[in-house]
Amino acid sequence: MTIESDVVVVNFWGNGFGMRVRIALEEKGVTYEYKEEDLTAIQRSQLVLEMNPVRRSVPILIHQGRPVCESINILEYIDEVWKGNGAPHLLPHDPSDRAIARFWVHFIDNKLFSSQTKFLKSKGEAKEECKKELIAEFKQLEDVLGDKSYFGGDNFGFLDIAFIPISSMFYGYETHGNFKFEEECPKLSAWVRGCATRESVANVLPDPLEMYEVHKIFYGIQ
Amino acid sequence: MESKEIVKVVGFWVSPYSLRVEWALRLKGVEYEYIEEDIFNKTPLLSELNPVHKKVPVLIHGEKVALESLIILEYIDETWKQVPLLPEDPYDRAMARFLADLGEKLFVNAFMALCSEGDEKEKTLKLATEAVEKIEEELKGKTSKFCGGENMGYLDLALGWISHWLPVWEEVGCMKIVDPIQFPSTTLWMENFLNHPVIKEKLPPRDKMVIYFQWLRKEMVSQIAKYGPNGAWAILKLKSPPNYR
Repeated sequence: MTIESDVVVVNFWGNGFGMRVRIALEEKGVTYEYKEEDLTAIQRSQLVLEMNPVRRSVPILIHQGRPVCESINILEYIDEVWKGNGAPHLLPHDPSDRAIARFWVHFIDNKLFSSQTKFLKSKGEAKEECKKELIAEFKQLEDVLGDKSYFGGDNFGFLDIAFIPISSMFYGYETHGNFKFEEECPKLSAWVRGCATRESVANVLPDPLEMYEVHKIFYGIQ
Repeated sequence: MESKEIVKVVGFWVSPYSLRVEWALRLKGVEYEYIEEDIFNKTPLLSELNPVHKKVPVLIHGEKVALESLIILEYIDETWKQVPLLPEDPYDRAMARFLADLGEKLFVNAFMALCSEGDEKEKTLKLATEAVEKIEEELKGKTSKFCGGENMGYLDLALGWISHWLPVWEEVGCMKIVDPIQFPSTTLWMENFLNHPVIKEKLPPRDKMVIYFQWLRKEMVSQIAKYGPNGAWAILKLKSPPNYR
């Protein structure tokens, strides 16, 4: 399989983990080729099987023919490869701030993501419990944001990029759980609006209604 | 960047996550104070340091706190520049992080295989063996002693638990995950890891580990029988383990 471009991103349009990769590259001003992987199909493409034989998942960043897998790994790689020449830093400079950013990304990928999965899959009373847990976790992240414009302070950084794609599911969560993010998490909602004005985010995040529709298929929601 | 602030590690004697933090500091020659936390009787200190998860290990460095063992390893590497743990090249770094993450998945599956029976045990055993196959592929054909080359690095520290915990789990769980005939490169790497002077002097005693994991296995098997694998994790309320000290 020949890869023409220097930088290729393989992702499914509704996969938030892959949106992170595209946003990061666009923030860095890196041109890339996008290859869509249809996750609604049962089989993975030859490209994915070849480039990610271990996990057979997307996103994959293919840089000069070599694959980098797992979205957070990819963000760290992007930050380390494309630096200087006025390219913004994604991770903060100070080791302690870096550890804090990585901690909250780990929280999003482990706790928050599994809570949203449980919430989308549950019904009735269980759904109400899951909804409370999910909102509580969003509020924890809202506390981390505080009154800052971005999680990175004045800079749109690693934690912002890792977190913003999930906002494309806010309409879905609100519809599924009959609540409003604006009421529950006003600061987070303001942060989402602020991020949405960035070209990288506007270019990459899908329509929330389409996002909810495709997730209904994956999660078996009627 | 030398740092003279006080360093402390809050850990649990048999947690491979807290051991890997201690190994990293020792490799770098960084002095630290160790604080044992009984995870079955958690202290207010732990709640204060890690309010989100209330888990060990915690690294305290002066006024700063770092959480999650692999994140702590990166913090250690960025703060104390001697004896670098992560490779310099970004692609090699990405590979090391990817394989470390694979090692974490192996940990979960191997632990579940230890603590379950029947179909669940078979399923998790298969997943654990598949993960070792991937690690074997990475190590095969390497002429160096360690994943990090001739010197130990981040990936060795991340996967190191395999060499000392997995054989105990195999014994207690009556199972085999790292077959030396099927996985010769992994087996050799395990020996090299255990023989490293820094590692050798900082391993929990095997006999006490056997007692501890025998007890833990019994508790987990009974919880899983009542609540299923996910329920057991969520509501595990363990009584204090036997006197293993």
